[in-house]
Amino acid sequence: MRRILRVISAHVRVNLQQDLAYRVDTLVNIATMMAWLGYDLASIAVLFGSAQNINGWLAGDIIVLLGVFRMLNTLMMSIVWPNTELFNRGIREGTLDYVFVMPVNSQALISIRRIQVWQVVNVFVAAALILAGIATSGTPVSLGEAVSFLVLMVSGAALIYALWIVLISLTFWFTKFDNNVSLLQALIDTGRWPASVYPMWMRLLVTFVVPIAVATTVPVQALRGELSPLEAVGYFAVGVAGFGLASLVWRAGSRRYSGASS
Amino acid sequence: MTLNASTPPIAVQALSKTYQVTDRAGGFGAAVKGFFKREYKDVKAVQSVSFEIAQGEIVGFLGPNGAGKTTTLKMLSGLLHPSGGKANVLGFTPWERRDGFLKTMTLVMGQRNRLSWDIPAADSFLLNQAIYGLSDAEYASSFGELNELLDLKEIIRKPVRQLSLGERMKCELAAALLHRPKVLFLDEPTIGLDVSAQARIRAFLKEYNRRSGATILLTSHYMADVTALCERIIIIHHGQIKYDGALSDLSRRIAPYKLIGLDFDDDTVVDLAPYGQPVTRENEDGMQYVQVPAEKVSAVTARLLAEQRVRDLTVADPPIEDVIERAFHE
Amino acid sequence: MLQIYKRFWAVNWAAQWQYRANLLMYLAYWVVSPIVFLAVWSSIARAQGDVAGLNAGDFTAYYLTLLPVDIVTASITIHILASKIQDGTVSNALLQPVHPVLTNVLVDNVAFKALQLVLFVPIWIALVLLFQPPLTYTLGSLLLSVPVLALGFLANFLLSGIITALAFWTTRVFAINEAYFILANLLGGSFVPLAILPGPLQGLARLLPMQLWLYFPTQVALNRLSAGEIALNTALLMGWLIVLFMVFRAVWNAGLKRFSAVGA
Repeated sequence: MRRILRVISAHVRVNLQQDLAYRVDTLVNIATMMAWLGYDLASIAVLFGSAQNINGWLAGDIIVLLGVFRMLNTLMMSIVWPNTELFNRGIREGTLDYVFVMPVNSQALISIRRIQVWQVVNVFVAAALILAGIATSGTPVSLGEAVSFLVLMVSGAALIYALWIVLISLTFWFTKFDNNVSLLQALIDTGRWPASVYPMWMRLLVTFVVPIAVATTVPVQALRGELSPLEAVGYFAVGVAGFGLASLVWRAGSRRYSGASS
Repeated sequence: MTLNASTPPIAVQALSKTYQVTDRAGGFGAAVKGFFKREYKDVKAVQSVSFEIAQGEIVGFLGPNGAGKTTTLKMLSGLLHPSGGKANVLGFTPWERRDGFLKTMTLVMGQRNRLSWDIPAADSFLLNQAIYGLSDAEYASSFGELNELLDLKEIIRKPVRQLSLGERMKCELAAALLHRPKVLFLDEPTIGLDVSAQARIRAFLKEYNRRSGATILLTSHYMADVTALCERIIIIHHGQIKYDGALSDLSRRIAPYKLIGLDFDDDTVVDLAPYGQPVTRENEDGMQYVQVPAEKVSAVTARLLAEQRVRDLTVADPPIEDVIERAFHE
Repeated sequence: MLQIYKRFWAVNWAAQWQYRANLLMYLAYWVVSPIVFLAVWSSIARAQGDVAGLNAGDFTAYYLTLLPVDIVTASITIHILASKIQDGTVSNALLQPVHPVLTNVLVDNVAFKALQLVLFVPIWIALVLLFQPPLTYTLGSLLLSVPVLALGFLANFLLSGIITALAFWTTRVFAINEAYFILANLLGGSFVPLAILPGPLQGLARLLPMQLWLYFPTQVALNRLSAGEIALNTALLMGWLIVLFMVFRAVWNAGLKRFSAVGA
């Protein structure tokens, strides 16, 4: 574990160096991110200019949800995407072999080889949105609600991460399948709004097939006190189980890869 | 814009090109510093280069990496605007990029594909026919001629990505020549090809030049290309011309020395240091070599024959690679 | 000249066809965002009865019409050309005696959207069956939307050409494009039918060109505009076309000058 942390910090350092070298790019990236934030807030403003609530969700709730969505999206943008590209290139060009000769957990390594460190700004923005949303709605939050919100947000993100690991592991079996992560990214946008606005078939899709709602809507529901303890524990268990399952799939896939390439 | 026979198709006068590049050092500290302040420096890629090339000539344009060869070719084909100087190619100033100019010259870069990767070359050829406004008859005769020289019929039906490097280069050349350009700029046309494919491309260029009378300026890292194709070479280094003249004169001008090869009775090994500079050659043919200034060859030969038991003796020019290598560094 | 376009079509269609699997994935991105807004607005309209006079069905019909409109008028010029400008391979095209943007890139755009439409039709039918929108098309409105779409695409193509040409100066052209994309989303009608935007924003949106290839053709197809509105917007579109063409020419030529000064 210590070694993995050391490897992560080394990668962060190298990547930070890269972000600093391309200074204008980094500033431009932050500016673009802020522009998207402006767009999101403007769209919420327009929405609530014509409506009091969206399926019972008030402006404050929607802002909290936006914060949670941005946390998840930051995970996608800063880690999932850059490493997917690297992974796919590795499979195509055979350089993935190097990952398996290193004395570090291979799943951890392929997850963090490229990190857009500047995106940490986004985490702060998302946290500010969550706090601002809670303040806007004015409803006091109990300790239990706060804890279950945080725990479910983390386990939800872990579930999406696990899904990603499964998706890229599939490439070990089906090499033609290398743009399946796009599908995950395409559906991420649904996490901006409460799952209840979607028609039933879509709600099933984003809850059970590509569980974006579990990582976005569900934690906010916990914060609003809408989840029973049993539901909260259930969603948490799903996240933990997903995480475990993904590492099994990864191990099976990588065994197959090293078997096939030798 | 009329050309008479005496006007050289390529005339270059004091052509120069200076770039500005950022200076970036390595390391974490430098990266942080570079975030706030950035330093620039001028790079003089080409410095006051002048030459003329006559109709139908094949000229080798040689120099180490970064010498300014590609920059010069890009200026002459209109892709780059020079920082100073003049150039005239077939009556046009290249960087004005007139259609008339573009239709009469071609640039082939061995490391850069122009053909679309995903479709058969035949389709790209038809596209070029339209782009260069060739009538069906012109296209047919032009393609027929190229096909005769390059044997394209089979390979142009396959998507380009499936071709071997040599086949791809044949198609690249054909695509670049369909409009019968009068001036050809070739930048490393044989790079990466295997020896036999190189030889085929070389033979093609020679024959194409003979038939069409086109003027060719080419760069290559392979001396075999140069010795097979070019009677005249221009050597450029650090953006300046070091040599412009006949390939055969190069050794006399740059490296006025000869190699004397010796084989002694009973295969004895003789210390040749008293006669000149002994040379070990990679290509072992059982002979010993000694490098001697050209004007002393006859005297040294006479001494060797008198003092040693020589079975066989040859006098040869130094290998052209060595000479050019020397020219680069002078 | 016609011959040139025909040959470019043959080449680009064949090349795009090879990437149809990727295209399908690309379509997923294209579809999700309008569907999300469709869901949000129609659920609000359902709860309140209407929003600014539009009921749930109106929203559903709007977004499901916007989808094919967006595909027809979108431009992928920046994806075709910007990286070639940045790595210098655009010089291949510059060696040819035809304008690269107004021939090859234009035709490549058209080939891309033609293939995209082919793949999109079954998806669209499925979405219509799922959402059951009240589509108020008439034969006349559909016929009228054809020239509107064509002109709208040309205008968008020129604007994207201008943005792409900025790659001659900056490596940050994709960021610029993203900023533009955000603006176009908000003010073009992708986010919401213009009528719902608050006053001053709506006035601005109506004058800017983006709505002319998103909101305007969608409303034309749905037969929701009066003859006067159609005439006014068409005039505006023609005016923008001229302006965009002149700006594009100026920017492209200046870019070429710059390119030949610094090289690549």
